[in-house]
Amino acid sequence: MTFSLKAKKILVIDDFPGMRKSVREMLYTLDAFDINEVGSGIEAIAAMAKDHFDIVLCDYNLGAGKTGLQILEEVRVRKLLPFSAVFIMITAEQTPGMVLGAMENKPDEYLTKPFTTRQLLTRIERNIQRKIYLADIEREKEKQNWPAAIRLCESKLHSSQRKYHSHLQKLRAELAIATGDFKFARSIYDDVLKQRNLNWAQYGLGEICFLQGNYEQAVTILEQVVEQSPMMMEAYDCLARAYLAIEKKVEAEEILKTAIGLSPQAILRQQKLAGVAENNGNIEVANKAYQAAVELGKNSIHKSSADYSGLAKLHNKNNESEQALTVINAMREEFNNDTESELRAALIENSIFQGQGEAELVEQSYQRAKILFKHLQTVPKELQLEMAVICHKNNESELADQIVGNLIKNHIDDDAFMSEIKASQDDLGKAGESDMLINKTRKELVEINNKGVRLFKQGRLPEAVQLMERAREKMPANKTIILNFIKILLQDAKVSGVNKDKLLQIQQLMNQAMKLGTAPHKIGSIKMEYSRIIQAQKQGESNG
Amino acid sequence: MVDKVTPELNFSTILGCSVHDMKNSLGIIQNLVSQLAKDSRHSDNPQFGQLEFEANRMNNILMQLLVLYKIDLTRFSLNIDEYPVEDLLNEAVAQQEVLLALNSITIKVECQPDLYCYCDFNVITSALGTILNNAQRYAKQNILFSAKQHNQFMVLCIEDDGEGYPETFFYAQEKVQDQVNFNTGSTGLGLFFAQTIAAMHINDDERGATEIDNNSSLGGARFRLFLP
Repeated sequence: MTFSLKAKKILVIDDFPGMRKSVREMLYTLDAFDINEVGSGIEAIAAMAKDHFDIVLCDYNLGAGKTGLQILEEVRVRKLLPFSAVFIMITAEQTPGMVLGAMENKPDEYLTKPFTTRQLLTRIERNIQRKIYLADIEREKEKQNWPAAIRLCESKLHSSQRKYHSHLQKLRAELAIATGDFKFARSIYDDVLKQRNLNWAQYGLGEICFLQGNYEQAVTILEQVVEQSPMMMEAYDCLARAYLAIEKKVEAEEILKTAIGLSPQAILRQQKLAGVAENNGNIEVANKAYQAAVELGKNSIHKSSADYSGLAKLHNKNNESEQALTVINAMREEFNNDTESELRAALIENSIFQGQGEAELVEQSYQRAKILFKHLQTVPKELQLEMAVICHKNNESELADQIVGNLIKNHIDDDAFMSEIKASQDDLGKAGESDMLINKTRKELVEINNKGVRLFKQGRLPEAVQLMERAREKMPANKTIILNFIKILLQDAKVSGVNKDKLLQIQQLMNQAMKLGTAPHKIGSIKMEYSRIIQAQKQGESNG
Repeated sequence: MVDKVTPELNFSTILGCSVHDMKNSLGIIQNLVSQLAKDSRHSDNPQFGQLEFEANRMNNILMQLLVLYKIDLTRFSLNIDEYPVEDLLNEAVAQQEVLLALNSITIKVECQPDLYCYCDFNVITSALGTILNNAQRYAKQNILFSAKQHNQFMVLCIEDDGEGYPETFFYAQEKVQDQVNFNTGSTGLGLFFAQTIAAMHINDDERGATEIDNNSSLGGARFRLFLP
């Protein structure tokens, strides 16, 4: 055997010393000597934060503490492993691997106990070869350097290595989606499907429909994918989003419930279900999902104070104020000195004390909330809305209106959130006012956009730039305005050349768009255009 | 999408539930055995190898039972992708490593590196592993494990130099289900599993299949798995 583990740094994660020992013995016979062992998730994370490993063998079930999945989630989010490293999840039985998978984190491979030395070696070998072959693409992908990633992927696709052809096709399609090039992505999936009905290609088509806003079609495709491949968890998640987009809220809840029945460990999905069920008024389901998210969160990188506050609010709504306060205390313990969770706590306490008629405590918690709100750098939009409601209930309608007004201006193109605002204002008996503001803002936005498009088409770019600058003053955090502004600036750069200031302005706007949570493929497509312009500029310089 | 399981007691439900427990116990036994073997002064005693092998075989049978049980509940679905055929063969051989060393049977793998096929990697390698396991029990010295493309199918072939399948096996070929003859030990279950899994592999109008005969180039039994 030519392949050797001699130079590889290996981490073995298992809570049973006996199991660690037997894996170590196997690895020794494969010439490995740099073998590190840990018995828990916390130690595993610490080890990976300190050293770069080439191979990680992780048992899925680690007793108390983090599970193998939670370790993997954290590894991926915190980028604790090099791109060429192999992560193999060891499971006790032939559970369809994907069920164990979270939303976006999958190990490179699963290995079922018991396994032989040779099985271990072939798995490691196969995966290392692939990871090393694809590492340069993955590296650029991670940096979101799309042009480079695509270039590398293309050149490998055209080399004759049949072995990785299917991986590369999948990767190339994903890169096309990431850069908003749906037509190309679709052509790859169609090609693959002509050969064989493969679920990842079907899923890809469904995802494209979803991203393009063809929700009905996305639903049709994804329902079929879920039917044919009930273990493909990402299809459930995308299907749920598509259902929500067409207001099929009951269906969304049902499909998330089915997915959770198959794979209860995925915290992000539990969080999603909690929100959807609460919105549907299914308090029991929401309660259970929040509790699951809180429990899973204790060992997860995805833990969120929103799960605690969601649970506490449900209790409060059910007039279980004692339980609500218990949850808040648990949140404070888990998120020590975190401003956002302190704000969440203060807002819920305020409603609880209002219900109890504790005037002094009401005033105290309200003042605390106001201070925290001011100090918090970025407040999630839902939390801002919550703040507005509390302001109103504490008789500061002016402040409440100001917050709601900003929310409407900045998120006017987010239909789901606008209905949330409407519902909350309706509860306060102020539906009329917010409706008026929403309609007015919508009209304004449409007018600006139409005018911008007109100027753009007529080639009156400086005027278009001015228009967008003014629009941004009015709605500083509006995603549509920022995106259109960037497009106009790019066109301007294309026509009349680039300079340092222009590029800086474009880059700043791109960063802001990203921070505001603009859809990744929209930013990807702008990045591609940006790099094309820079490229053309460079060529122009070297030619001229 | 998923049929609801009726709460009433039936044998398949009981089996399904107990397989999990059996597998867990078996895992512990396997760990203990290898632990004992390492700590023992007689670690080279071939009986340890035999023990490990039998536990392994039991584990494989249980896994197949579990898959069949899930198929019965329509809770099982394949995860199809494209794989190099060489990887499939190597994985099946790797699974049987312990037995290989034990029985001093030579297994020859013949496969062009540029062959690819579509299948569910885990179930196909497990099915092939079991057939290999059987072949090793009946082979005298040699096993040939090969693959080649034939029309729309990838044909995976396991041949041995033993006595061949008994006549009774062939009568049951048409009605596969009858073939689970418990007198033949895991041979019947292994074949049934392979047949069931193969038939779930579908491409357009083509469906996977298995075939057994005694036309081995080595003089014994021949098993063939056809993947569309």
